[in-house]
Parts: sequence; C-alpha cells; structure tokens
Amino acid sequence: MHDIYNFVSGPLVWVSFIIFFGGSLYRLISMAVLAKKKDVIVYEYMSLKYGLRSILHWITPFGTVKWRKNPILTIVTFTFHICLIFIPIFLSAHIILWKESWDISWWYISDTTADVLAVVVIASCVFFLIRRIVLPEVKYLTSVSDYIILAIVAAPFITGFWTYHQWPGFKIMGIIHILSGEIMLAAIPCTRLIHMVFFPFTRGYMGSEFGAVRHAKDW
Amino acid sequence: MGKRTLIIYMVITLLVCIFAVMSGYSQEDVTTVEDSAFEEKMRPTVQFLHDEHNEAAEIEEECNVCHHVYEEGKKVEDESSEETECSECHTLNKGDNPLSLVKVYHLQCKGCHQKKKAGPIMCSECHPR
Amino acid sequence: MAEPAIKRSDESNKIVDEGIDKGIARLTPKKIEQVINKVLAAETGARLKTYVGTCVHCGLCSEACHYYLSHDNDPKFSPAGKVKQTIWEILKKKGKVDQKFIRDASRIAYTECNLCRRCAMYCPFGIDIAYLISIVRRLCHMLGVTPLYQQDTAHSHSATLNQMWVKEDEWTDSLFWQEEEAQDEIPDLRIPVEKEGAEIFYSVIAPEPKFRAQLIYQAAVIMNVAGVDFTMPATPGWDNSDLCMFTGDYEVMGRLKKAHFETAMRLKVKRIVMGECGHAFRSVYDVGNRWLAWKMPPIPVTHAVEFYYELLKEGRIKIAEKYDKPVTFQDPCNIVRGRGLHDKARYVVDALCEEFIEMHPNREHNYCCCAGGGVINAGPPYKMKRIEGNKIKAEQLFAAKTRGAKVVIAPCHNCHGGLEDIIHHFGLDMELHFLGDIIYKIMEKPV
Repeated sequence: MHDIYNFVSGPLVWVSFIIFFGGSLYRLISMAVLAKKKDVIVYEYMSLKYGLRSILHWITPFGTVKWRKNPILTIVTFTFHICLIFIPIFLSAHIILWKESWDISWWYISDTTADVLAVVVIASCVFFLIRRIVLPEVKYLTSVSDYIILAIVAAPFITGFWTYHQWPGFKIMGIIHILSGEIMLAAIPCTRLIHMVFFPFTRGYMGSEFGAVRHAKDW
Repeated sequence: MGKRTLIIYMVITLLVCIFAVMSGYSQEDVTTVEDSAFEEKMRPTVQFLHDEHNEAAEIEEECNVCHHVYEEGKKVEDESSEETECSECHTLNKGDNPLSLVKVYHLQCKGCHQKKKAGPIMCSECHPR
Repeated sequence: MAEPAIKRSDESNKIVDEGIDKGIARLTPKKIEQVINKVLAAETGARLKTYVGTCVHCGLCSEACHYYLSHDNDPKFSPAGKVKQTIWEILKKKGKVDQKFIRDASRIAYTECNLCRRCAMYCPFGIDIAYLISIVRRLCHMLGVTPLYQQDTAHSHSATLNQMWVKEDEWTDSLFWQEEEAQDEIPDLRIPVEKEGAEIFYSVIAPEPKFRAQLIYQAAVIMNVAGVDFTMPATPGWDNSDLCMFTGDYEVMGRLKKAHFETAMRLKVKRIVMGECGHAFRSVYDVGNRWLAWKMPPIPVTHAVEFYYELLKEGRIKIAEKYDKPVTFQDPCNIVRGRGLHDKARYVVDALCEEFIEMHPNREHNYCCCAGGGVINAGPPYKMKRIEGNKIKAEQLFAAKTRGAKVVIAPCHNCHGGLEDIIHHFGLDMELHFLGDIIYKIMEKPV
C-alpha cells in the first residue's frame, strides 16, 4: 500500500503533469506550426478584438442565443465546467499536499462546500450521460470514446467523494482517486478533452471571421 | 503545629507531588493529537494511542524521534521536548496560514510513515469521520 | 415522429443523378483512396485537424440547421451528423472508403447542406462546419462526383466565364435591349457599356440577362435616376456568380474572380456594385479573393442592399409613395452572416415600406432559404427534397403572414428561388420581391 501510494502520489504526479503541460503545449505548437504552413489564412484573419468579443460572449452564461435557448443545459454546462476546474485547485486536501511538497498554498474552500460541488459535478456527468443516451441527435454522434471520456472526467470526483466519506474500501478508493485524477490530466492533450485548450482558438477564429471580415455577430 | 504534624503534611505534599508528576509522565491517557493553536478544526481530531504507537514503532526509549529539539537548524541528539506543544516552536502568529502548522504535523507523522512504509498515510486514515 | 423523416431521406437516396452515378462508376476504391489522401495532404491542415479534434459530439449545432428542423429532428441532418457521415469517416478510414460511401457523401455535401454557416453560431467552439462540408465537396469534385446540373453551371463558368452559357454577343444584346426598353420610360436613359473611368462597375449574375432581364432594366432606371456614374463591361468578367466555389472547383473559381477583378481594373472603376445576389457576394468578398491571395477584395465591393442604403440615405433616390403592402424580410446568409448588412437592409425596407413585419428568427439567426450553397443549382432531381427540406422556412413565413405580412422581400437570387418554391409548394400565397422591384415601383421618376 505504501509503495503504491508513494508511486501514485510521487512519480505519477510528475508524469501526469508533464503529459498535461507538455502535451498541451505540444498540441498548441504543432497546431500553430501546421497553421502557419497550411492555413496561413488563420493568422491573416485572426483578430484579438473580435476574437475576444466572441469568446467573452460564449463564456458568459446566457450570453449567446444558443445559451438562452437551452437554459437547463446552459446552467449545467457552466456549473460543471467551473466546478471541474475550481474544485481540484481550491480543495483544502489538495492544497495541504502542495504545502507539504512545495511549501506553497493558497485560498481554499471548506470541505463542506467542496462536498456539495463534487455532487454537482457528478450529477452533471449523469446529466451528460443521460443526454447522450436519450437525445437522438447526441446519441447519433456518440461513439464509445465519448463514454470513456465522460468516465475519465467523472472518475476523480466519484472516487474523491467516496474517499472523503470513508465508504467501504476507501483506502483503495483513495489510491484510485489519485490515479484517476492523473489519468484525467494526462488525457487532456491526448483526447477530445483538448477542447479545453483549443476553445479560445477555434472560437476566437470564428469570432474574428464574423467580426472583422463579415461585420456580424457569431453568438 | 507539632513537629509530627509538619512531617505528615510534608510527606502528604511530597506524595501528592510525586503522584502528580508521575501521572504527568505516564502517557497512559494520550489518545489523540491535540494542539491548542488550532482554533477551528477542518477535519476530526487524529486518534493516536501514544504508547501503542511507540511500541509498534519501537521508539519507546527515544522520545526525541518525535519530540525533537532543534538548535540552529540542527537536531540536538540528547534533548527532547515532550512537555512542549509543537506550536510553541512551530509558532503560528495571528493571521498566519494555519496550513504551515498542519504541514509540520503531517510531515512528522505521514513523512515518517512513508519513509518506514508503515502506518497510515492517506487523509482519512488518520482523520476519521 | 422520426419514422417519416428517415423514410424521406431513404427516398432521397434513390434520386437518380447522372453526374453522381456516372462519376461513381468511374471510380475504384484505390483511386478514391489516392485522391482523398492527396487532396487532404495538399490542401488541409490545422483547421481540419483542430476542428475534428475539438468537437465533443455534443449535438448543440443540431437546432441551427433547417434540414434537421425540417426533417423532424432527424439526427442524420444535423450539422455534426453530416460531418460524421462524411469527413469523420474519411479521416477514420484514412480514405479507404468505397464508391457507395462517396455517393452518399456527395449527396450529403451538395444537397443536404447550404453552407449557410448558421451552425457556427450554435457550436460553442465555433467549429466551421461549412468549411468541413466544403472539404467534402472538394474531395467529391476531385473524384468527379458532382450533381449533374451543378456541374453544368461549373462547365459553363469554365467555358464562358459566366454561369448560364451566355455568349458574348448575347450579353451585350441583352444590355442594349434593356436600355432600349427602358428608354420608352426614360428617354435619355443609358446603360453605359465599357465606359472607362466610370465610378462604378455594376455586375450581375448570368441568370439576370438569361431570364430575369427586367432586373437589369430596373437597375438601369435606379442608376440613371440617382445619377450614378456606372458602367457594365462588354467582355467576359461581367458575371460575378460562382458555382465553382460550391462544386469545389477552386481553380476555375480563381479564374472567375480574377476575370471579374481584372475587368474592374481594366475599366478603371472605383468600386464594384453587385446586384441582389448572395452567393456571388460571398465569392467576390470572402472566398474567391482569398483563393487569389487577396485578403480583402482588391477593389471595394458593395452589395446592392448597401448601395440602396447609400442612395436612400443620401437622398439620391426619392420615394414617391411608400409601398403600402405589409412586408417581411428574408435575411440572406451571405450578406448578413457574411457581411452584416441586416441593419442597413432594415433601413432600406423602412424607407420604402409602410409596414415591416419581422420574421423570427431574424438577422444573423435567420433560417437559410435552402437554395443557396449550390443546392438549387443541383437542379430538378433535388427540387422536392430541397423544398421539403425547408418546412421550417414555410412555418417561419407562415408565422409572419399570420402577423399580417403579405410580401416577402428577398434581396438574393438564391433566397428568391428557394422561397418562390416554398411559397408555392406550401400554398403560402405571399408575394415575393427583390428590393429593386419595390424601389423601381415606388421611386420618383422623371416624367
């Protein structure tokens, strides 16, 4: 147990962070290089002003027609994405680990808050799962990989919740929790989770085309 | 007051003192890790059976494995600090991040457990519900 | 509910299109693979890769598409659904797809998507689905699998530099003919042909001289009354339309736009003003110029809607009496999502008409006419599919009608063609006009 723990909380953390940052950086750079070579158009038309204008509308809840037309989805997707990033960064248990290893720390949320937010994330994942199974237009686009990605995202929250509440097998679950978090980080540059990294560029480019060239809104 | 009465009083006082000191030294009733510097607790208090731990860890005679004393960054080998709360040295001033004291405790327990590959290391192993 | 929709798409599979079927017959899986991989390697890069890698298969683009909405939410017609059936599969199989697949891909890309770009406003990532479908069209073009009627227009473009096989003398004859006709109304009216140094080159699409010559007449009247210094060329290059952009024949597209811009340069005009056509504007302003490596058109390009706006705003044409029938307005994708002319269009409509009733949704969010993007040019085999594929437009028009609209204004040839069929097929009983029709009718003219 100690060996496994030391391994998953030591070298594997490094591996996952290196894959996450290195891989994301690699994806970004290779995209930029390829664009320079084959899609120079993107550089020509990319506009900071109109790109940001579009991005800001899309990252604002109810800031676009699409978001306003689907209020439930909008609420779920925004809370889900915010919590997804917010919880792991501001969870006291995580910060203590940062403090122990690097002697750095920052503001954190109470465990009760984190507990509630984790339920929100898990419930959102269930929402997305049901959506995938039930809505024909989503089901039609769904492949096995979509379920795997959803599972990768949900796993750290389910296992973290389990461990925190010390349900049966929580020690093993704690190890799985660490491992699943690492898998999720490492999966970001390797799967469609890369949308997290690419969003500003795809949206920004469309915003630039619509704003600077076509003088129209894209939201 | 007669001489005898005085002696009896002195003996009683001495006995009380010895008893008091003895009970102070005997670790029978140490079952948790507490520190008055923690004003509000985020997690339940750590259950810690002092003697059993030391017996299992085979450090019954070496108090300063844990109750250490540092001088100028160096551990003083033949001194120990049983009577001192950790936070007396690892001071927590007003407004300080309590995590720095948490860190000290964690490294003391968990750090050693990791090194020795024995004892609890994960959050909920020490902080039960 | 999904049952009849699927049936309908099965029926559309049975449409016989010689262009596609004969094209398929010439292919082998080996050739398909070769062509696909050659084109993808040479012409695609970061955008394709990033778009495909970013799409999280969320389906949020679905409700953007009029095909999807009109087919009872059949997922096969959703934007991402069409991408899944085409380019995803091609990438996944690395080009190893069979003839049947290419047949379906061609049908989907050419006749089940108008490249209207509405979905880009519904995808949170702004994935350019029209671009992805354009890649499929490019592949089909390179494989020689294009709808027959559409390909005919592309051939015409290639041979004559106009869309409708209009010969050079027929073109100038049409101009002189319309000039003469209009002189009955305004005796000193001119359509100045080949006037070097004129301020404006007025360009039209070939269907105007071919079968909507009255539009040239009306434009001439408007230009003359407003005292506009304009000219029209006598040489090829007069046609601003571009179906090659839609078949995927970008080489010919480049030739067309080059001829068009060079004609403007030769005539030493200050700018090009185009008639009420949407796809031509897209080609001149947005797509064709890029193929020629012009970031923006080498000479300013003004769409008719913006031109009318200028004329009305500057008081160069005056309205004798406002148009009294209640109107609604069709926002064409290529000048609204493509150029943001919706507010200027509304200024024009308000200036011309007594009563204006908005369609919903409108402006950038208006539904596509289902005729643009080359779909109407795919011709008779697909006519019913195209009309039934836009039931939602009929509902939208009907809603405007119930609120009183009697006339639909569509300042775009494709929208016009599409709406005409929809109005007729669904028995909507609404009039359909270009802005030019109405301006001509109600403007003050010299007696």
